[in-house]
Amino acid sequence: MIFLDSAATTLQKPPAVARAVAQAMGTLASPGRGGYPAAAQAAETVFRCRETAARLFGAAGPEQVVLTTSATHGLNIAIRSLAKNGGRAVISGYEHNAVTRTLSSLPEVQVDVARGRLFHPEELIAEFARLLPGADFAVCCHVSNVFGYILPLEEIAGLCKTYGVPLVVDAAQSAGTVPLNMEALGAAYLAMPGHKGLYGPQGTGLLLCALGVEPLPLLTGGTGSNSKLQEMPDFLPDRLEAGTHNVPGAAGLTAGMEFVQSLGMERIGAREQALRRQLVRALREIPDLYPIESPRPELQSGVVSLVSKTHDVEALGNALGSRGICVRAGYHCAPLAHESGGTLTTGTVRVSFSAFNRGWEARRLAEALADVTGRSNS
Amino acid sequence: MIYYLIVCKSLTYAQRTEAALERSGIGAHILRSPQQLSDSGCSHCVKIAQRSLTTALTVLKRAGLTPTRVFITESDGSYREVAL
Repeated sequence: MIFLDSAATTLQKPPAVARAVAQAMGTLASPGRGGYPAAAQAAETVFRCRETAARLFGAAGPEQVVLTTSATHGLNIAIRSLAKNGGRAVISGYEHNAVTRTLSSLPEVQVDVARGRLFHPEELIAEFARLLPGADFAVCCHVSNVFGYILPLEEIAGLCKTYGVPLVVDAAQSAGTVPLNMEALGAAYLAMPGHKGLYGPQGTGLLLCALGVEPLPLLTGGTGSNSKLQEMPDFLPDRLEAGTHNVPGAAGLTAGMEFVQSLGMERIGAREQALRRQLVRALREIPDLYPIESPRPELQSGVVSLVSKTHDVEALGNALGSRGICVRAGYHCAPLAHESGGTLTTGTVRVSFSAFNRGWEARRLAEALADVTGRSNS
Repeated sequence: MIYYLIVCKSLTYAQRTEAALERSGIGAHILRSPQQLSDSGCSHCVKIAQRSLTTALTVLKRAGLTPTRVFITESDGSYREVAL
């Protein structure tokens, strides 16, 4: 099997991740719920996960790192905390349904979309500059999950600072491949999954909160603290972490983040971009296919979408699947991004690399696509 | 044995407190707070030796980790709050 759907989840993980999960399942109890060694060791495990994430992404401290089940979970907390009746949000035209559906469920919030053509960051910056004054908050993905477009986040964050607008960053596609520092950005919230570029288990995620934010809990319940009170604690991370922690998940996520730290995000990102460029070069030899690549390579991560002149994208995805090549076809839960990128009527086949992919896999994919489409220049 | 209990607002703060003290060479250990020390229910505290309190408070102030409350054990096993 050749796995090229790491924008959905990184199926191939460092062996240390599974070992950490198994060890946690066999030895650790619930953090904060007991004074015995298995509970204390569980607490240490979760704390180490917070510390590692805080270091990796520039959070103010481990208590500002909230364990979630996914980036979507974190985005829901952040957006619902900042939304208010009659308020206004500005989002980029490349947001995922995790953002757009959440905002749609809040009809009292007006949503303005900062639009800009694909791989034209200056257009996006101009739109944010136009729309941000007077907004209550902004949401922006760091990297588009459909096109791998690396958005001009630093510039957008700078504009948010200028206009005093809290910024929520969706780092679902960048965490682990594109360096990101929360403090330097001045973002209010930074949401990310644990199971993609951080190589943790599925069902893990992180929400990093800036000092001074006042998040609203999405869930209420036991936290192992302030138990006599019926209100959720007013301090992080307890305020946002009702219920038993996913301790095996935290253990695995820490191992995944340590793997990323050991290789370096820049190195991982550069490798994935090189694989993407190699693939696109090969795909350009197949006349039926149109890979959507940025003319400026630095604006695109290790993700590339492609469309076919004659084949339905789902049919292509299925044909590749039957050849043991795993890619994703369709709309990738991001119709707004397709609208911005001009692929709303067709969808795309998306190829996304991870640190575990090799050049021969890109070659095999290109050969398979030439075979499936029945055409090749060579 | 006489010791101090530094009550922290959360387990995570207790963990940060323990780590900061250990880094400064002060032996510290996280415990669940005795119920009599916690007005609002379950909490965590950090146990340190009697001789370490002054240095510990300096270290914690430097690290921005202000303790919620500090207690000292009495000879009868009860706790007395220490004015900070």
